[in-house]
Amino acid sequence: MTGNLNLLYLPPFSIVARFFLTACLFGVLGVLLGFYMVLEGRFNLPAVVHTYTLGFAGMTMLGALFQMIPVVAGGVIDRPTLKATIVHVTLTLGVILFVYGFMTGDTLLVGGLLVFCAIGAALVFMIPPVFRLKSHTPTSKGIKYVLVMAGLGAGLGVAVLLGISGYLTLNLQRIIDLHLVFMLFGWVSLLVVAVAFQVIEMFFVTPTYPPLIRERFPFALTVLLVAKVLFPETYAPDVGISLLFIAFALLTIRNLRARKRKVRDPIVYLWYIAMVLLIASCLVFPLRKVSEAVFLVFLFLFGSFTQTVIMAMMYRIIPFLVWIHLTNMGVEKAPTMHQVISQRSIWIHVGVHLVSIATFLISFVADQTASGAYLPFYLVSFLLLTLNVIRGVLIYLRLSRS
Amino acid sequence: MFITQYLADEHRKCDQFYADVEKAVSEGNWEEAERLFDLFKEKTLLHFRKEEEVLFPEFEMRTGITMGPTQVMRFEHQQARDLIQRLEEALKNRNKEEFLSVGESFMVLIQQHNMKEEQILYPMSDQHLDREEVVMKLSDLGEV
Repeated sequence: MTGNLNLLYLPPFSIVARFFLTACLFGVLGVLLGFYMVLEGRFNLPAVVHTYTLGFAGMTMLGALFQMIPVVAGGVIDRPTLKATIVHVTLTLGVILFVYGFMTGDTLLVGGLLVFCAIGAALVFMIPPVFRLKSHTPTSKGIKYVLVMAGLGAGLGVAVLLGISGYLTLNLQRIIDLHLVFMLFGWVSLLVVAVAFQVIEMFFVTPTYPPLIRERFPFALTVLLVAKVLFPETYAPDVGISLLFIAFALLTIRNLRARKRKVRDPIVYLWYIAMVLLIASCLVFPLRKVSEAVFLVFLFLFGSFTQTVIMAMMYRIIPFLVWIHLTNMGVEKAPTMHQVISQRSIWIHVGVHLVSIATFLISFVADQTASGAYLPFYLVSFLLLTLNVIRGVLIYLRLSRS
Repeated sequence: MFITQYLADEHRKCDQFYADVEKAVSEGNWEEAERLFDLFKEKTLLHFRKEEEVLFPEFEMRTGITMGPTQVMRFEHQQARDLIQRLEEALKNRNKEEFLSVGESFMVLIQQHNMKEEQILYPMSDQHLDREEVVMKLSDLGEV
């Protein structure tokens, strides 16, 4: 039990701030890449996908884990600033070279290996404290599984890279599919689930998830992922994975609807939107091999789900951390959450976000994705997120120095 | 009864008291909000008092840990008290925006505080203290 006393420790604000801010900038970079591709008339799916999965989502999630492992799970990451710097710098450089590699073919291997080193280093820093915990909450248990899945997914990614580069002979399509499933469901979605077990109840004062789901979700997903590895060509594991996440999404919607805090809150709506997108992407997931169009729809829906959850998390975490760190420093009447990032600006962002999703879907249905008509909305959306996060960081810097 | 169960139940009740005030404020129902706020404040401060006057001293005496979790919990109680005062000022000034903003910080602070208590301090207290006796002493101070 004493290991969990580290719950009383708060990591420096600079850790979360640098990961979140870089993630936002990668979001903007991804849109700029989109503009470039529209102008060039050549769409490069892996470059766009990895800008978002690694640069935006991966960067945010690793930053959040540096915060959550001590605060939510109670695991000690000693010298967190040094370790976070190593992961952050390596990942940033790695993603830039990796994406550039997809565009040009020049730096693909070195970029991919740097990304692998960044994820590997993060796992080396995070796995021991989490696995050393003597007691587990559903969240810390989920994080334990997430870290293993991230390692496996990244390893599969390296295998794909070595296959593409001609160093390994393997069934590339099959390994790419496994890489995708481990990264999207074992890493991204399971982390969202594990975090939701704690924060949905905490932030919105909702009923708890059923004990069976809270306790067994990571194990059930592991069984399905193992089945996926053993029987990669059958539909059953895919359907099972979809049903598991749909059950989670429906329970989350049910819990949010039963929340005690009835005040109108944009972050509740972001969670609702995220869960609807998760359900939609899970419905398409088992059919992703039917055609390239279906595969793209799946990726788009899943990406939108991830983006929405990240917005919800950043808009809660940044204002709270600014307030708590300033208060702990003795700043009197430190700005409270809505003063750091106003509700109005979050509502505006929710609106722009919905418009960007809708315009992409309309373009897709009308077979006009090459026009890039949705890109200006995405640019505004990621710029709003970036500016709001920068605003929080600047308030912190100004008041902490004064 | 376990200390964890007894005090975690109080956390849930205080959450409900706050949610009621927040709803009244967001609807602009100020008189009702003031009445509900008094109840929320009274019950929340009673819960803090029960911990500070009964649980923490018993815990410190039995375990010898005086500069650990109980100190952090006292510090967070003070942070929460400061926010309750800011909530009260916002309520007096009929400042809905300020109330909801301070309230958001209060809720996140109090929820992560409750999580630490429910995950660390209360289970340790159940393990090391005479739980029936502690629950009786807590009850003697009043019901949340």
